[in-house]
Amino acid sequence: MGLLGAGIGAGIAAIGAGIGIGMIGKGATESIARQPEASDDIRGAMILTAALIEGVALFGVIACILIVFGVGQ
Amino acid sequence: MIQACRRLFVTVFIVLFIVPVLKASEQKAEEEGAPINVVGTVSNHHELEYPGGHLALPRIFLVNGKWYFYGSTESAIESGKFTESEGALAPADGSKITLDMSITSHLIYVWLSVIITLIITFVMVGRYKRGEGRKTEPRGWFQNMFESVFIFIRDDIAKNNIPEDEYRKFVPYLFSVFVVISFMNLFSLVPWGATATADITVTATLAGITFFITQWNGSKDHWNHVFWFPGVPGWIHIVLTPIEIIGLFTKPFALAVRLFANMLSGKIMIICIIGLIFVFAEIFGVVAGWITSVFAIPLTVALFVLKAFVSLLQAYIFTLLSAVFIGMASEEHEHEETIEAHA
Repeated sequence: MGLLGAGIGAGIAAIGAGIGIGMIGKGATESIARQPEASDDIRGAMILTAALIEGVALFGVIACILIVFGVGQ
Repeated sequence: MIQACRRLFVTVFIVLFIVPVLKASEQKAEEEGAPINVVGTVSNHHELEYPGGHLALPRIFLVNGKWYFYGSTESAIESGKFTESEGALAPADGSKITLDMSITSHLIYVWLSVIITLIITFVMVGRYKRGEGRKTEPRGWFQNMFESVFIFIRDDIAKNNIPEDEYRKFVPYLFSVFVVISFMNLFSLVPWGATATADITVTATLAGITFFITQWNGSKDHWNHVFWFPGVPGWIHIVLTPIEIIGLFTKPFALAVRLFANMLSGKIMIICIIGLIFVFAEIFGVVAGWITSVFAIPLTVALFVLKAFVSLLQAYIFTLLSAVFIGMASEEHEHEETIEAHA
């Protein structure tokens, strides 16, 4: 049952991060298309925001790893 | 023709990288009885693997105020003072180890990366002191590479995120952290190498240093924002101050977990895909194992290439976020502006 929970949790974390990073990508590509000369700044901001979202998703992954390895049982 | 040769060489090189992973997981599987042991392969070891064998690393313990030094795990057991229980060493007389200062494979790779970074930096400092690169053009591919990486850290990471008048003093830290993390990440691609950054203690230490630097250089405004957020009604502080204090600690925590989880997941992915071969071979027979390897090996090659990219990207992100946090803390803002901005 714990393993099932870990699997579902990892999936949900991936969904959240996927939506978030997808929206960042959408915003970044749209703004680069509108203003190609600012693409360097936009790329930096994009990587930074994506890293922040990724961090939140990885918290979920860590929780799942802890469940799988049975920490705290 | 040269291009074709080069392509072939790169392919052979990458395939060679996979062989140790294959061999390691096979060995572990034989020892454990299960088709594959994922955790054992990524965890910290008391031995250093090299082509054709492994080197036992020293074990150092502090038990009840007394230090014990042993050349390896075996000699610790042979001395009769320690016994092995559940894969870890414990004193034979039933007491507990106060402090385990044993040198592990991850620690060796941290040291290796630090030493390489020191050597590179000192060699380059010597060159620049002699005037090479300052009075003349930088010479050779190595100095050019060094200079472009350094300028990238200084201009794109430090200057953009840290206030203009004090970014200079953080450049050495940011540069060394970038290079050390890059080396530690890239060592995971080397055959028999261990990923030091796939260990939460290593990344937590690095994030701890960033945390310390951030708080040490925190401006008056930074602490003002933490303990008494300007421009909000008085009773909000009851909610806001604890959140701000927690926020101080979540930033380095996220920094540590991000690097750790990225490097660990990359490694686990590769081991799992390689492990599919053995799982299939055990369930459906040897032929199924061979057929699976046709799909698994190219996929692993692709993952290795991705990992090489992720290694540098994660080093960049760690450095960038360190710079952003330091910049956020050391910034002094005009007070009137702050109130308006937060209103």
